[in-house]
Amino acid sequence: MFGRVCLLCSLSRPVVSAHLSRTHQLRALYSSYESQYSLNKLYPGSDQDVTKPLDKPSKELFLRLQDDIEEVSETEKFSGFIPIDKLNVKFSKSGGPGGQNVNKVESKVDLRFHLESAEWLPASIRAQIQEKKQTNINAKGELVITSQKTRSQMRNVQDCLQKLRDIIAEVQRTPKEPDENSAAVWRMRQEKSTRERLKQKTIHSRTKTDRQVYADE
Amino acid sequence: MGSMGNRKALEMVRSMPRVSFVNIRDNPGSKKQKKIRGQGGSRGGESGRGRSGKSKRDTRPPIGYEGGTTPFYLRIPMFPFYKNFATRRQYIPVSLEKLQHLIDMGRIDPEEPIDVTSFVHAGAVRINVFDRVYGIHLTDEGADKFVAPVNLEVQWTSELSIAAVERSGGTISLGYYDPQSLDILSHPLQFFRRGQPIPKRLLPPKDLVDMYTDPSKRGYLSDPNQIKENRLLLAQKFGYELPDLTKGSRRALHR
Repeated sequence: MFGRVCLLCSLSRPVVSAHLSRTHQLRALYSSYESQYSLNKLYPGSDQDVTKPLDKPSKELFLRLQDDIEEVSETEKFSGFIPIDKLNVKFSKSGGPGGQNVNKVESKVDLRFHLESAEWLPASIRAQIQEKKQTNINAKGELVITSQKTRSQMRNVQDCLQKLRDIIAEVQRTPKEPDENSAAVWRMRQEKSTRERLKQKTIHSRTKTDRQVYADE
Repeated sequence: MGSMGNRKALEMVRSMPRVSFVNIRDNPGSKKQKKIRGQGGSRGGESGRGRSGKSKRDTRPPIGYEGGTTPFYLRIPMFPFYKNFATRRQYIPVSLEKLQHLIDMGRIDPEEPIDVTSFVHAGAVRINVFDRVYGIHLTDEGADKFVAPVNLEVQWTSELSIAAVERSGGTISLGYYDPQSLDILSHPLQFFRRGQPIPKRLLPPKDLVDMYTDPSKRGYLSDPNQIKENRLLLAQKFGYELPDLTKGSRRALHR
């Protein structure tokens, strides 16, 4: 725009808005038009620029991926966020049939992290995993999760993370203790089933005895 | 400017004789032959039906009759494979593997927004709206190997495809185009040469509104803030770090 000759003024100076051509005026008019279904009107509080990340993601955001855990104190609650850079994820070839594809594609996923030094998990959860999931922990103290469920590496990573979330939820669940009444009922049922089993056993024994043939008969 | 064919035709016409009754005839199919009764003409007499018998007396069994046994077409049970087929919406599939290949071969420019027009101009799809095609379906085959940061708009996709695109530092959104708009989108230059005004792009029909307002599917009518939340959730779900979109080359983004 700078340097254009303004015909009305016949002087070389920057063209001001009053002298904009008709097409420029129309463009300015239509670029400001917003239909009633424009995103600004449908969602007035939202920022349309995708490049800008969320200002304050809500605390419960990542808990949507985690199963609801009952009876957990607020201070020791897992936030639901797993820092992927703190995990050691390795890929390798999967086992089983599948021909050339299974031989070439690295779809098996091995996910591990050192349990003691995982600061992103509350200390109580770390202790509970250490106690209850010894079979998944190696000599170095790493929790190891693998998956070769699907043909796709991405889906197997998803499976590994889901397994990790399931472990976190499982170790926090307190098993329901049976109350006194149900313990007595359970014992009575056990004794009854044992009695019934022994009764059937004697009947069967008698049948077998009846079938016996003695030489002197 | 006349083409070679036009010029040759005009020269032929110049050298031809004057039009008269001798050298003109009716267009084929304009005059239907009358029904011939009695003995006159080729279809007279028995009228092509032959001598006595069931074929003459019109007492032949129906087509498919197998002499009394249950015919094949009645033995096989009915299944509605094609029920409402004529009204079903079709979406042309394009895999992520194909998209990566197109970008690698230079047929699609990843620096520009990629939509239906880009795919058609790259020769990857052919959109014929008269086949009830409503757009492009981005399939997740090749998701593991997809690395191009793209700014994509399609009409149907899956969660894994969204994850693959966002993991590579791109954005994806689902945009609805009614058939007329889609037709124009698939050949915009030809449309503009007609000189017609650009028609209004309609909103999606009732049964598609849920999809296009769903942030987990990145619908174009969904809440942008919820889309941002979903991007974070998807990154957590599929185990990747969400790339910073402010870095990298500056591209005009759809939304």
